[in-house]
Amino acid sequence: MTSTEVIVASVSSTASSRSSRWPLRGAAYAALGLYAVVSGYPFVLMVSGAFKDNREVLTNPWPVPRRPTFETLRTTWQVLDFGAYVGNTVFIVAASLVLILVIFPLAAYAFAVMRFPLRTLFFGLFLSALFVPGVTVLLPIVLLDYRLGVLGTPWGVILPIVNGSGPIAILLLRSYFQAIPRELREAALLDGCGEFRVFWRVYYPLARPALVTVAMLNFVGIWNEYVLPSVTLNDPEQYTLPLGLQNLLSANVVNWNQVMAGSVIIVVPVIVVFVFLQRYFVEGLRGSMKG
Amino acid sequence: MPPTELWTRTGAAAPRSGAAAEPVAVPAAPRRPKRVNAKRYLTGYLFIAPAVILFAVFGVYTVGYGLALSFASWNGLAPQWTWVGLQNFRDLFLNDPLLAPVVQASAGRTAVVMVVLPLATIAISLPIAVLLNSVRRFRAPLRTIYLLPFVTSGNAVFYAWRFMYEPDGIINTCLRAIGLGALAEPDGFLGNPDTALAATVWVQIWVSVPLGILLYLTGLQTVDGELIDAARVDGAGSVRAFRHVIVPLLNPLTALLVIIQVREALQSFQIYLLMTNGGPIDRTNVLGLEVFKLAFSPSANLGQASALGWTLFVVALVLAIVNLRILRSRS
Repeated sequence: MTSTEVIVASVSSTASSRSSRWPLRGAAYAALGLYAVVSGYPFVLMVSGAFKDNREVLTNPWPVPRRPTFETLRTTWQVLDFGAYVGNTVFIVAASLVLILVIFPLAAYAFAVMRFPLRTLFFGLFLSALFVPGVTVLLPIVLLDYRLGVLGTPWGVILPIVNGSGPIAILLLRSYFQAIPRELREAALLDGCGEFRVFWRVYYPLARPALVTVAMLNFVGIWNEYVLPSVTLNDPEQYTLPLGLQNLLSANVVNWNQVMAGSVIIVVPVIVVFVFLQRYFVEGLRGSMKG
Repeated sequence: MPPTELWTRTGAAAPRSGAAAEPVAVPAAPRRPKRVNAKRYLTGYLFIAPAVILFAVFGVYTVGYGLALSFASWNGLAPQWTWVGLQNFRDLFLNDPLLAPVVQASAGRTAVVMVVLPLATIAISLPIAVLLNSVRRFRAPLRTIYLLPFVTSGNAVFYAWRFMYEPDGIINTCLRAIGLGALAEPDGFLGNPDTALAATVWVQIWVSVPLGILLYLTGLQTVDGELIDAARVDGAGSVRAFRHVIVPLLNPLTALLVIIQVREALQSFQIYLLMTNGGPIDRTNVLGLEVFKLAFSPSANLGQASALGWTLFVVALVLAIVNLRILRSRS
């Protein structure tokens, strides 16, 4: 069977039910399993490293710890003051999400259903921001933060991040709003509702799936954000989780078990959220790639 | 029928040119008074105002500032800029005996990554997506595992790979355990100048493959299975069914993936910063990282950093436009 036939068979509605193909299916599962190992092994490594002591993590590269210990997770949490870093990170993520979920739905609603001069121009301007490389504006952002007096504070991270998430959020929400039947808005306006009430009471609740998608995409990105906090935050008390993790790695003697434990602390919340809201995440990625 | 409904229904572009210009409009419909229009426009502007203000400050201003700085010399401390015209660009690419070779070498590496990253991502994600689409059991859990690298992309997973690449890491250990000790890297894969770039790009591929799998999986699932069966009943062989039903569907997806990955190759620097910081002996220094270093190292030259950053932007824009043209002409 050629590769062409496999591809055709994979989309055919009947071919995969033919039982005569079991060796082929076995080979398919073998290949899929192999890549699952490649894809998932770093996470296995993190978890196993988090339960080893600093000597075993170097001498025993295999995933199962010989002497499992909770000590590593405990000391990592304390030594690095991860408690404070978690708080800072949660604040930055939460404040950014609140702003993103207020500012951009408003704009997306206007772009989707309202008519006003220069509407297309403004929309085009937002979309063009998609092509600006992050590193190109990084330096001006730091200088701007300084002028605005927010350099070194969480807001110096939040505001640029919110702005950066704008194009995709507007794109996703706009197409969602456009799919809502016009009659709803017209009827509400006829009943004497103001435009804002129509938005807030009718469109916003209806767009919940799209809003969850936007929240989800941004949660993942902001939680993992390293570069912007690293160039704007100076005071270790303001540090976020990825910066704390970087600190662990730049120690004189790297305790890999602690680096792995810190990685687990960062990665687990993302994985939990992802597994529960996977559907929205997948939909959102598809939507944002189409746009 | 109220005018509002007419306009929105007929999709007339702007109410100003409204009722009179629109033949569908009922002739009896009264002209909308100017004041009402103005009020409606104002509401529209109020809705986009927060986003526009934020964008004006953090988007337009920063991009413009960067452009201006590209033509100036400034160390970040002096009270004033010195205008130098195109000198930053000349120094970066041609004149400066210390800088130009570094920039040229990073441009070469970036070009290599721009070819390898999209190709490798497609070469891995397409077969995986096809296989995943062909099996019934374990589809959901497998997809979840495949997507994890993309979701968690950040320094945590980069450090996990650094740990695996260590001289006594799991990769060397495995190679030695299965008798391929000759392939092991005594200095670690990131320590050897000859393997460092490949090892870093591999992590970039590992992070990107999920996107490709997701894209192709969506594409394959929208192929109507019955269409294929119908083609077969009509006597089309696998090859013809493949060429006429599946290929036309997957082509635009591949083009899209190429656009995303070329952009990624051109702009990404975080992974290089965190895996190798450009080393050993500059062998993993790419353009994005060079911009970052010019801007944020102790010997920062902010004018040069902006000039190189803007060059990246222009190249990204040109590539995006070319890619979109190709995409459109195909579909």
